[in-house]
Amino acid sequence: MVTRKRYSLKTREGKEALTGYFFLLPALLLLGVFLLYPMGAAFYYSFTDFYILRPGEKNFIGLENFQMIIGDAEFRQALRNTLYFTFLVVPIQIAVALGLALLVNKKLKLKVFFRTAYFSPVVMSLVVVSILWTFMYNPNEGLINEMLGLLGIPPQPFLTSPDQAMNSIIVMSVWQGAGFQMMIFLAGLQNIPDHLYEAADIDGANTFHKFLHVTLPGLKNISLFIFITITIAAFKLLVQPMIMTQGGPLGSTKSLVYHIYEVGFNYRDVGYASAMAVVFTVMVLTITIIQRILVKEERG
Amino acid sequence: MKRMFKTLAPLTLSVAIMAACGGEESGGETSGSDASGNSNNNADSGEQGDVVETGEAEQGVEATGDESVTLDMWIHQTGEDETDFYIKRIDEFNEVNDDIYVNAEIIIDDGASSYSDSVNAALVAGNLPDILALDGPYVASFAEADIITSVDEYITDEDREDFVDSIIQQGTYNGELFSLGAMEASVPLYYNKDIFEEEGIAAPASIEEAWTWDEFLEVAQQLTTEDRYGLNLFMNYGVGEWLTFMGAPFVWSNNGELISEDGTTVDGYLNSPETVESLEFVKTLFEEEVVSLTPGEMQFEEGNAAMALGGPWIAVSAEDADFEWGMMPYPYKEVPKSPSGSMAYGITTLSEHPEEAFEVMAWMTNEESTIGLSEVTGMPPARHSAFEAMDHYDELPWSVMRDQVTETAHARPQTPAYPVLTDAFAQAFHAAALGEDVEEILNQQVDRVERELRRFQD
Repeated sequence: MVTRKRYSLKTREGKEALTGYFFLLPALLLLGVFLLYPMGAAFYYSFTDFYILRPGEKNFIGLENFQMIIGDAEFRQALRNTLYFTFLVVPIQIAVALGLALLVNKKLKLKVFFRTAYFSPVVMSLVVVSILWTFMYNPNEGLINEMLGLLGIPPQPFLTSPDQAMNSIIVMSVWQGAGFQMMIFLAGLQNIPDHLYEAADIDGANTFHKFLHVTLPGLKNISLFIFITITIAAFKLLVQPMIMTQGGPLGSTKSLVYHIYEVGFNYRDVGYASAMAVVFTVMVLTITIIQRILVKEERG
Repeated sequence: MKRMFKTLAPLTLSVAIMAACGGEESGGETSGSDASGNSNNNADSGEQGDVVETGEAEQGVEATGDESVTLDMWIHQTGEDETDFYIKRIDEFNEVNDDIYVNAEIIIDDGASSYSDSVNAALVAGNLPDILALDGPYVASFAEADIITSVDEYITDEDREDFVDSIIQQGTYNGELFSLGAMEASVPLYYNKDIFEEEGIAAPASIEEAWTWDEFLEVAQQLTTEDRYGLNLFMNYGVGEWLTFMGAPFVWSNNGELISEDGTTVDGYLNSPETVESLEFVKTLFEEEVVSLTPGEMQFEEGNAAMALGGPWIAVSAEDADFEWGMMPYPYKEVPKSPSGSMAYGITTLSEHPEEAFEVMAWMTNEESTIGLSEVTGMPPARHSAFEAMDHYDELPWSVMRDQVTETAHARPQTPAYPVLTDAFAQAFHAAALGEDVEEILNQQVDRVERELRRFQD
């Protein structure tokens, strides 16, 4: 049997514990007021017909909102778009981030310059980046089509084509986000002890083998962290379609969070939007848990 | 606790979303999406929902004595000149009136949704001001929900008649007048005079001479060359209010409607043969490649489009263009129609002093305010008397805009389902521009709007 240590305010330890809780208090309060309480309220609203223009009449309507989600074609389209975005962005962004990290980990001249250059999109506001890329994607005067033109490729519609818009947003998102994961990978790379590489050299391993058997295993924990954070971040896609395409063309870039935002704020249907937010939260949570289980088993 | 609960309620949704994903910046839309409210200044504001106290208003007459009434007022902030003008007029009101003191707050409007987000939040929290500025098409929602009060009992017939019809139409819901605005908006067909002269095309100068769709298309085709488009529809503003504001007259002029007259259904209206035909025409414009789906911000001002269906703010931004330009009336099919609508004022039902609040509303929309605002923003005034007082509206090109506002302006539908209806139309318009099957898209959108309309039918 485990005996629990009992704290009393009379002991030194007890006082320390109390002090500790006081230090926690501000964070807990903020978390409670701005996270837990709203989450609870959204959960409650998801069972009501809360409509912004009639704040006084919140009627309990049971599972009606959730039933509506099942028949909602816009929700399904937004879900498909979000999954498509996530399944493409996650592997591409991890690969690009790792590639960049390997590059800037070399003993290059101007190493610091390159690190800063790759990292700088991360510190830029996503709103600003989105507006800049909208200009770059412009079919008539955009930078990217000008460059394609030099290669003899005809101008592409990018954001105005239902087939290309989401992919264009994916490219821009990877460009904007990969620098951050690059820094984390870089930290991971520098934590791999040199003697492992030396041992591999003695065993006659070539660069590729070293990468496969020393570098990758050494980055395993960090990769798991990056994998999960990118996935969650990808699910929350909002700013890019909002600014670059308004969810179009033909709804091809409408993401789930954007759809929830529109229903809740533009169409004022807080009840239904809350229900979708609840479903969304459960979905992301489930996927995150599955990821953890799968990756852990692999590590065996 | 209950109060706190109410105050926090509007935060909940956004935080619930954030909780699901761990924090997200919210972004404004790109410029130009607010077709009606913004005048010459479409600048994006990164800040959202910031409240700026009007320093000047504070220095006004202090509320004194028992008879004195203090009124809270919310105004949207757009262009600097426009906002300064509102502040100036409120200061003057406070100086003239000893018994009413207006305490104005200017709320950032980024052209997207930050102003209406602020209004929504205050609405849920139950602390709306006495008077607030609201966008014309949203009057119905607020009236239906009993948030703003009818001003029928305060306004004189004489005063009512001085307003242009479209402003009264915009402010009326279920036969009662709820809002008044000082400015109108319109969309003339701008044209590049230099190009017209080169090509030997005569521009219509009055509504009677306005082009029909066929003539319009023909000219647009003639004016399209390898390095310039015949027409600009400002599709760069994105899929939003602009497409309804600018695009709906195509439907109206073809004797179509977006919604039934009693406002109960869109089936048979939004997807009527007339609506389909007008969007088919829009589709043709794009198929014939006389107009670009992705024009540059200044396509017309830079001479890369010979004509443009643009807001009054284009006249401001084209001031520095190195060519002569003019305005023509909006082209039509059966009946000439033109876009209309702008910011207006409403008095909330929460106000304990609706009568005094109406005095403020009347002041902000009187002849002097109307003229002053028009001079500052370049937007057409909402009163006949103001048009008469402003000489430049008697001559071309501005006479075209005056004629449109006083003769062919058509308010957007007055329905509480407007937010969904306008998105439905904008989506369909954009789909037409992309060359999709117009009828199929309209039928899909009808289902959406019908679902929303059912909310108001009990």
